[in-house]
Amino acid sequence: MSGFKKDDDERVNPFANLVKSTVLQEARLFHKSPIKAGKCIPILTKILYLLHQGESLTTTEATDVFFATSKLFQATSLQLRRMVYLVIKELAESAEDVIMITAVVMKDLNSNSPMLKANSVRVLCNVTDPSMLGQIERYIMQAIVDKNTYVASAALVSAMHLMGENKDIVKRWVSQVNEALKSRAVMVQYHALGLLYKIKQQDRLAVTRLVQTLTKQSTLRCPYATCLLIRLASHVIADDPSGVPDTSLFDYLELCLRHKSEMVIYEAARAICNIPSITARELTPAITVLHLLLGSPKSSHKYAAVRTLNAVAMTHPVSVTQCMVELETLVKDSNRSVATLAITTLLKIGSESSVERLMTQMSEFMGDIPDEFKVVVVDAIRSLCLRYPKKHHMMISFLAAALRDSEGGYEYKKTIVDTIMLLIDQIPDAAESGLSQLCEFIEDCDFPILSIRILHLMGAVGPRTANPSRFIRFIYNRVILEVAPVRAAAVSTLARFGLLCEPLKDAVTTLLKRCMFDTDDEVRDRCAMYVALLEAGASPEDVALVLDDGPLPVKNLEAALLEYQAKPSRTPFNLATVQPDPVAPAARGAAAAGEAPHAEASPAAAAGSPAASSSAAMYAAMIAAVPQLAPLGAPYASSAPVQLTEIETEYQVNVVKHSFAQAVLLQFNVTNTLDMFCLKDVTPVVEFADGDDGLEPIGVVAAPTIAYGAPGTAWVVLRKEATAFPSATFSCTLKFRVLDVDPESGEPEEGDEGEDDEYEVDEVDIAPADYMQKTFVPNFAAAWDKFTDDHQSLELFALGSLGSVAEAVSTLIDLLGMQVCERSNAVKPDAVTHTLLLSAVFAGQVPLLVRIRLKLDQTRTVQMELTVRCEVEFVRELVLSLVG
Amino acid sequence: MAAVKRLFQSFVSWIKNLFWKQEMELTLVGLNNSGKTTLVNVISSGEFREDMIPTVGFNMRKVQKGNVTIKLWDIGGQSRFRSMWERYCRGVSAIVYVVDAADHAVIEQSREELHALLSKVQLSGIPLLVLGNKNDLPEALSSEDLIEALDLQSITNREVCCFSISAKDGVNIDITLEWLVKHSKKS
Repeated sequence: MSGFKKDDDERVNPFANLVKSTVLQEARLFHKSPIKAGKCIPILTKILYLLHQGESLTTTEATDVFFATSKLFQATSLQLRRMVYLVIKELAESAEDVIMITAVVMKDLNSNSPMLKANSVRVLCNVTDPSMLGQIERYIMQAIVDKNTYVASAALVSAMHLMGENKDIVKRWVSQVNEALKSRAVMVQYHALGLLYKIKQQDRLAVTRLVQTLTKQSTLRCPYATCLLIRLASHVIADDPSGVPDTSLFDYLELCLRHKSEMVIYEAARAICNIPSITARELTPAITVLHLLLGSPKSSHKYAAVRTLNAVAMTHPVSVTQCMVELETLVKDSNRSVATLAITTLLKIGSESSVERLMTQMSEFMGDIPDEFKVVVVDAIRSLCLRYPKKHHMMISFLAAALRDSEGGYEYKKTIVDTIMLLIDQIPDAAESGLSQLCEFIEDCDFPILSIRILHLMGAVGPRTANPSRFIRFIYNRVILEVAPVRAAAVSTLARFGLLCEPLKDAVTTLLKRCMFDTDDEVRDRCAMYVALLEAGASPEDVALVLDDGPLPVKNLEAALLEYQAKPSRTPFNLATVQPDPVAPAARGAAAAGEAPHAEASPAAAAGSPAASSSAAMYAAMIAAVPQLAPLGAPYASSAPVQLTEIETEYQVNVVKHSFAQAVLLQFNVTNTLDMFCLKDVTPVVEFADGDDGLEPIGVVAAPTIAYGAPGTAWVVLRKEATAFPSATFSCTLKFRVLDVDPESGEPEEGDEGEDDEYEVDEVDIAPADYMQKTFVPNFAAAWDKFTDDHQSLELFALGSLGSVAEAVSTLIDLLGMQVCERSNAVKPDAVTHTLLLSAVFAGQVPLLVRIRLKLDQTRTVQMELTVRCEVEFVRELVLSLVG
Repeated sequence: MAAVKRLFQSFVSWIKNLFWKQEMELTLVGLNNSGKTTLVNVISSGEFREDMIPTVGFNMRKVQKGNVTIKLWDIGGQSRFRSMWERYCRGVSAIVYVVDAADHAVIEQSREELHALLSKVQLSGIPLLVLGNKNDLPEALSSEDLIEALDLQSITNREVCCFSISAKDGVNIDITLEWLVKHSKKS
């Protein structure tokens, strides 16, 4: 490095060898009088340089320098004054008592020099505190509408920084900010719009109004502000509860595609591509624009365009095909990032024949690109494999090579492992080779969590392969070489091989016995259990229970066992008392059946996930805690929470339906997302809207207070006859009083009676599925055979509207609300036939089983044979009528 | 020729400054509402304004009296700023302590703050001028009373002086300045 510098002689960094203590020593010069600007400026520059190099000053050091610097405010040299402001701004965070300079800085606010004015606004906002801000706010308001654009911008940006802690004061400046928005200056307009959004951010309706007004007026002349507005519009579209984008906003985005600034054009195209429910036809103009940008000489344009196209190709591959030729050229682009994105985009839209060529090209520069892009590449391969399963050989070897590469962090390796696992799961032919590659990988894997997952997968798939014994060596190596969690996982995997492959039983038992001297408790415990199981020759049912995780969540099983222990009883523990997870199976089914690999990130799954932990016991406890509801007892079935509002609304409401012999209880969970309000006496009002008679609202329990961020619960009891199981729809409105909340204390203002308000939410449907309690049947075939043919109903249906077997399966699971047995919800893609097995207890006492056989015929309609076994004919009829 | 002459002139003025021009730095402290900023205004521009807002932090002013340049640091008197008085008093020619002589309720507090300030090692030996302001009001203490009330006799390690003044009516401002100029150090 130094040799290089010598060659370059004169260009040596004058600050290269600065030492903090020396500079601080020099800073004492600031105390000297008279002030010598020529000497002070270089010292201030040195301080700034040190700070920007990441040097940190202690509080005492910072305070000393701060006060020394503050003495320079008396200087008349504008250059020196500017440096003083820059240094003060940097020190304001670390020094103490920075408020001292307020009076001096305020004097500059009234000066004639725009430089001093702008800098003083910035510094003032840095050193002030909330109590002081009230005194100085009128100066900032004046600065926001200052004629000089630097001053106005400085004030607007400072106000943005102030928003964090002084939201309520900044909110008072709205009219000034609106004034600034009309400015002719480009930056002022941009900053004003940014601040205006920050002020209104919490209020969704206000943002929507702001965007609608601005898009209609076309007063924005600044491209930055226009880009910002496009982003805001795109937020509004994404948040729109109706899901259908407002046509005026869409028109605005289309209009922006013809803007003269390329930045705006791109932003608009990207916004259109991001609209969730966009159709191929609406997408066309945006794609055309991106297509043009691909040919731009500027790398940033190409990069932006290809990146967006890459994302669109996931959902609308056909729309992107028009850019094929340009993308092919970009594959050879000198910029690796552009080339990677181009290739992966092509992979997503390309035909089977071009895959090989693209893969070869890609492997050439895999080593040169950062992890982030490698992940993009692997994602592309994942979607490709599923489309062209025949190519799996090449894909797997590509992935394996990537996996063996010593470069790359956890995220990257995880994505590869995920992809291989998915291929093993989805493409039977790929299982063997995929597993071998993973085996190689765990021999030298730095991430225990990946090793554990791979071991688990080997245990699940390995025993069924043609030659299971070849895996044993890899697994046993783990027991010898790895950390405790991996050893424990390896032990379990070994045991699975022993239990499932008769020829390996003895060998595995011997190996496991060796592990019984492990230093880790968990490893020894597992060994002991499996050895006992292997040596005792346990019944197939027991083995199945140990091996199969089953659809029973461990948490719920634990809860049920604890309950069983708490009440001594002579009857053996019954698995049917365990609450099956109400959400997980369906979500897993959707993830397996859905094309999107990141289904778990969808908002619906996210909203449902908290419910997964909520078990029947929790609901029963909640109900018992309300005195008016306690007489009802515990419900025999509780539904998963159903959202009655869109996410992002002011008040979020979901309902859980609890079924009792003579009542249905609606539990309304209300979340208040507005921090300026507190809701009192929240009372749900339900009215019969449609369906069968027989459900009658007889009682309401209001939620006394629902404060910001603290969800509350209100209840409605619907009475019904014990023998009737009506389906009906009820309209729902929440009635409540709104109290303003004091922003300081977070408490409602005293003496505020509040205003009455109403909030309409979606309708609540009560369906036969709500009377079903999901129950787990360990052995479906045995349970099925216990019923005689007298207690069976069978009917044939044609499900015309459903396009695929997978879709039919998930629809049926939702419709019937029964427990999926033997993982029959997992449908192979492109499956032509499938059997779905369901079990439940109806109305808390009648067990029933359902077997559904599905077949996809030549005309792409799904034929269904539905068999119900149940001792009560009425229930069988009900199930058939549900599907019919 | 002209250039040489100009150079010579600037040289002469530099020599003059070296010998004649004097500069001094003063710090004004005292409880809030004692009249520090008002006094600074009167000294520098001769104008008196009734409606002053409390000083947030400090103000700074340069005043030219004869051949003496006086730099005035006027520090806020509110309690939150009092801990910072010392910092601004270090190395000045004199400390000016302003007292609202008409507000008997805070005299005791004023005494405490003054003695706390003077106890700081860094400030030892710096001359002190105590000004009993607002002597235009009937209830104002005389300078003798003030010396008593602030226990000024006990201060022995520095030069101390006490005047009774009125920034409003301009009473005794002249002798104050005279005293200050006398204490200016040669720069």
